[in-house]
Amino acid sequence: MLTPDLSARVGSLELINPILAASGTFGYGLDLADFCPPENLGGVVTKGLSPRPRAGAPMPRIAETPSGMLNAIGLENIGVDVFCRDQLPALRERRAVVIVNVFGESAADYLTVIERCEAEIGIAGYELNVSCPNVSSGGIEFGHDPRTLESLTSRCRAATARPLWVKLSPNAPDLVATARAATAGGADAVSLVNTIRAMAVDPFRRRPELARTFGGLSGPAILPIALRMVHEVHLALPELPVVGLGGIESGLDVVRFLLAGASAVQVGTATFRRPGAMLEILAELETYCRDQGVARVASLTGAMEAQDG
Amino acid sequence: MVTRSDHSATLAVRRRLTPTCYSVHFSLRVIAPPPTPGQFVMLRPEHGDRPFWGRAYSIAGVDADAGESTIELMIKTVGPGTALWQQLPLGTRARIIGPLGVGFPCEPAPASVALVSGGIGLPPLLFAANQLAGTTARCDLYLGAASAAELIEPERCRAATAATGGELVLVTDDGSAGEAGLVTQALDRNLADGGRYAAIWACGPMPMLRAATRVGERWGIPVSVALEERMACGVGVCLGCIVPTAGGGHLRVCSEGPVVDGLLIDWGAAC
Repeated sequence: MLTPDLSARVGSLELINPILAASGTFGYGLDLADFCPPENLGGVVTKGLSPRPRAGAPMPRIAETPSGMLNAIGLENIGVDVFCRDQLPALRERRAVVIVNVFGESAADYLTVIERCEAEIGIAGYELNVSCPNVSSGGIEFGHDPRTLESLTSRCRAATARPLWVKLSPNAPDLVATARAATAGGADAVSLVNTIRAMAVDPFRRRPELARTFGGLSGPAILPIALRMVHEVHLALPELPVVGLGGIESGLDVVRFLLAGASAVQVGTATFRRPGAMLEILAELETYCRDQGVARVASLTGAMEAQDG
Repeated sequence: MVTRSDHSATLAVRRRLTPTCYSVHFSLRVIAPPPTPGQFVMLRPEHGDRPFWGRAYSIAGVDADAGESTIELMIKTVGPGTALWQQLPLGTRARIIGPLGVGFPCEPAPASVALVSGGIGLPPLLFAANQLAGTTARCDLYLGAASAAELIEPERCRAATAATGGELVLVTDDGSAGEAGLVTQALDRNLADGGRYAAIWACGPMPMLRAATRVGERWGIPVSVALEERMACGVGVCLGCIVPTAGGGHLRVCSEGPVVDGLLIDWGAAC
């Protein structure tokens, strides 16, 4: 058959393929260019950027778990100014699709990052990381309270005409309510899921494995949970574009997320094991399409057969 | 920018070194650019996801010949991940990412080097001795271990240092072979007795690297230490392998290291 059309669309954003690098697993877009050129992907989501550089969490920050890993990096990053000065020009030159992941301790922090980026060309859109404690409301995560989330999203919406995605936390008490809040606030899409709050214990040292005790679980261990959440949001809000992520390791995993309702996907932890994983996954996706007679990858979104009975 | 690669490799040779350590040789098409002593690889089985991460191992040696390379790694068994290559049959396919990180400052070769090894710290230092054999550098290797049984390949180390015109100094915690005490104490004693080196290169546990840095400071000799940390990726993006630096901040062992100037490290926070 003809070469399958791998292009994808998330709201108004057109992508050459549905595979993006997940925030925090691909540096700022150039760090792994020797294994995986960012321009060959649907897009790259940068490491979360804050107004100023952050040193992050104490060690140990990572732990290996069955079929996955925990991290508590503490949002270490170079800050939005250094990103725009040192990283963005080369990304622009490569014509990579850059989604800037934004976080902060207050709504003002999010706006500072977005406003700084608005002064630059070559940024395709923003993804809000709302799994951060909101200092002004006693440290409750922005993404846990639908009203706070809607307010944050609408303030960010007012600051940019670029595509605005909200990365939802799987730890929120009511996922669908937070997806509705993001939509009400003007988000173009939601990405889900962020890591799942978890912990690991060293039985010999009788201590938590991570210095911060709790961290975020990622990798294939969370894939079935992420898939369920993507599908729940897709069923509740069929018009809302969803970017699915959580444990994707293969082209077939991508297809699973698309069928469950995702318009595109992000690959994260797989890149740690295999820095060229996303190119392999892309090739596997193309093979699936050829073997299954799928002319357009985009046609897979939500195209699940109903379960008999 | 340096181009790194994820190589397909085959487990070709395995030897037991001590009750807890073993050596493995992997054959691969070619490993380029040629590794520098102190650089490392990320090793994982080609199939399956147990252990979930690759493991970082310092390169003990490389033989390159007509488009085929053999790379030697030395592994101390501390858990299921490090035990893996002791159990898998010869011929098992692996993936090797590398060479990675920054190695010892071999060029230009220093006139003389004290190589200071603690426990499983030997691989990059043995590689360095072999690499420097063709230069004017004289290498003395201070080979430390908990006991005689834990000393890794002393005869091979002796031959490697002899080829540079240097000597092997054995040191064990319990005195069951060579001098009794710590390997850094033996180095300090030799310097007090009039020994001189242009450089000290050390690899081993953090407290040993701190002690080596102190010895270098006392005698005015630059010290390069090869650090070890838990890593998820080994290629600079997981930010899991940081070590605090003097004057605040931190560095990534995989990218700014593993070999760094000992004076860069905030040893109080790192140990």
